[in-house]
Amino acid sequence: MEETNKQVPVTVLTGFLGAGKTTLLNRILTEQHGKKYAVIVNEFGEQGIDNDLVVDADEEVFEMNNGCICCTVRGDLIRILSGLMKRADKLDAIIVETTGLADPAPVAQTFFVDQDVADRTKLDAIVTVADAVHLSTQLTDHHEAEEQIAFADVVLLNKIDLVDESGLEVVKERIKKINPFAKIINTTKCGVSLNEILNLDAFSLKRVLDVEPDFLTSDHDHEHDDDVTSLSFVSDTPLDMEKFQDWFSKLLQTKGQDILRTKGILDFTGESDRYVFQGVHMLMDASPMGKWPEGKERSSRLVFIGRNLESMNLKEGFENCKSA
Amino acid sequence: MKADTSQFPELDKTKFEQRGTEFKLGIPVTNAVTVGNSIVVGFGDGTVRIFTSGKSSEPIKAHKGIVLCMSKDGDNILTGGDDGRFLKISLDGKISEIGNFGTRWVDHVTANNGSLVCSSGNIVYLWSPNHKEPKLFEHNSTIGGIAFDAKGRRLAVSRYGGVTLWKKDYSNKWNSSELNWKGSHNKVIFSPDGKYLVTSMQENQLHFWRLKDKIDSAMSGYGAKIKSFAFVDDSKYLATSGAKEAVCWPFDGDGPVGREPICLPYVGNKLVTFVEPFPNENAILTGLSDGSVFLSEIEKASNTIIIRSFTEFEVSAIAVTKDCSHLLIGDMGGNILWTSIWDEEKK
Repeated sequence: MEETNKQVPVTVLTGFLGAGKTTLLNRILTEQHGKKYAVIVNEFGEQGIDNDLVVDADEEVFEMNNGCICCTVRGDLIRILSGLMKRADKLDAIIVETTGLADPAPVAQTFFVDQDVADRTKLDAIVTVADAVHLSTQLTDHHEAEEQIAFADVVLLNKIDLVDESGLEVVKERIKKINPFAKIINTTKCGVSLNEILNLDAFSLKRVLDVEPDFLTSDHDHEHDDDVTSLSFVSDTPLDMEKFQDWFSKLLQTKGQDILRTKGILDFTGESDRYVFQGVHMLMDASPMGKWPEGKERSSRLVFIGRNLESMNLKEGFENCKSA
Repeated sequence: MKADTSQFPELDKTKFEQRGTEFKLGIPVTNAVTVGNSIVVGFGDGTVRIFTSGKSSEPIKAHKGIVLCMSKDGDNILTGGDDGRFLKISLDGKISEIGNFGTRWVDHVTANNGSLVCSSGNIVYLWSPNHKEPKLFEHNSTIGGIAFDAKGRRLAVSRYGGVTLWKKDYSNKWNSSELNWKGSHNKVIFSPDGKYLVTSMQENQLHFWRLKDKIDSAMSGYGAKIKSFAFVDDSKYLATSGAKEAVCWPFDGDGPVGREPICLPYVGNKLVTFVEPFPNENAILTGLSDGSVFLSEIEKASNTIIIRSFTEFEVSAIAVTKDCSHLLIGDMGGNILWTSIWDEEKK
């Protein structure tokens, strides 16, 4: 009975064209891992060995008919994940490959919106393969490349043998500026242990507690208005729950299209529990997450990744939520 | 989905469970289809089993992975699987392959008068009788469902953004028209009288079109996606899953617009996951998320009897033989109840 309750973890594999996604997929499919994986691919056309299951799909982004403009989901994923859950043998993990130009948001939102998918599977992590040589140019030229970095829980910085040390540092700084909580793994030919990219549980609220983003100094020079950046806020003064909810829900409603990801741990006045949330655009997952640890300072931490963050008066909004 | 069983201590077996045969196969039941006085069941390991009174039911290996969909074709059964194969299976277990789409799933199958139809991705394939090559109908998105009307002259194909309605003219040429409604449409059915077309949507609602004047409307208010719905008593009611009651919309007269549905409540307050009309009666078999199954008269909810008690697994298939002598219930935990409907003495 336990078995049927277990949610199968789903890893989303993104990466701009030519970054090395196919190399990684081939590794997952050919390695003797002794696990049963299903790999949902686009025009891959190869059979897995070692018991893996390959499913061919076309990315189909559907708008939900619920009046929320940025609430899009992957229709093909809903169909395939619902189908896979009818299998007699249980899968250890499901890996979803996205096309090079895909925005990861609809994939992530699928797990918030579709109840069947949410009941039986869980979004484990978004893993983005990036080309150390070309990433900087791709980030400048393509929104999609920025989004793929912004949504990543893990960035596999691939082809590092083709750049020198200073070049590598520049790329890493660029990644961190977009997404301070992605774990960056240096690789050549995607040589990474599968343990480092599968079964990370990165989307669980429990993991939000680990968020310790690099608080970058604000060197926002030579940035375009629509560059993806991140902003973090910390407060030792407890927050007023009502004020926070008021501010935050309005913020997501009006600016949700530009806010790609949010994470936060909140200390509310009069509450003994820590409140944790994480969100994708307008969708959020939030819950009290147990008592604050004894002897540790209580504080609220909030991270935003998105476009035009500077124009949202986030600092002022957050300050106003502090209890008087 | 696990049910809370603590509130049902030591529930006695129903008379149907006592009289019938229970199979604990542990393989999710994906489909059950009536073919005459047999019921063919599809499973999540690619096998099918044929249940006929007085005969044993051995597993027949049809697909490599999952039997995704099934439909009746005369005295045979059609199946589609996640191995990309579209198969015809006879009641004596003989399998013939009609189509093979490799790593692409065969999501839906149907048949009418010897025409065999399946969908894979965004294409519907139609094999006319005595034709080796299928005719292809392409659509703008992956297909959510397919259905023939009773006469087989109209083929409805649901998709993202609505339904494409294919009509065969008298020179046997197929022409399409579009019925559009924003959102993603899944299963589609015609009313038996051919007047209405109904789809279930990705959102927790149904949509219907009255075909003579293309008037359309949503049926909403559900707590979950509507995975199962069917017309009852010719076309008088549309029974639907997706709520804690079996919601039955009136489709007689001018249809459901402005009218209230009849809601049939069940003990346990569980989600209805499957509805199956009881043949020739104004009654439905209702399967719940905890595995229990009830038989109810739509206009007289007090006439509800329990057929199967809970199993902890959601009901995923119910079928009744054509002669109404037997019924079969299957769930996601691979439990099957195959039972005669009437007491032996009353026969």
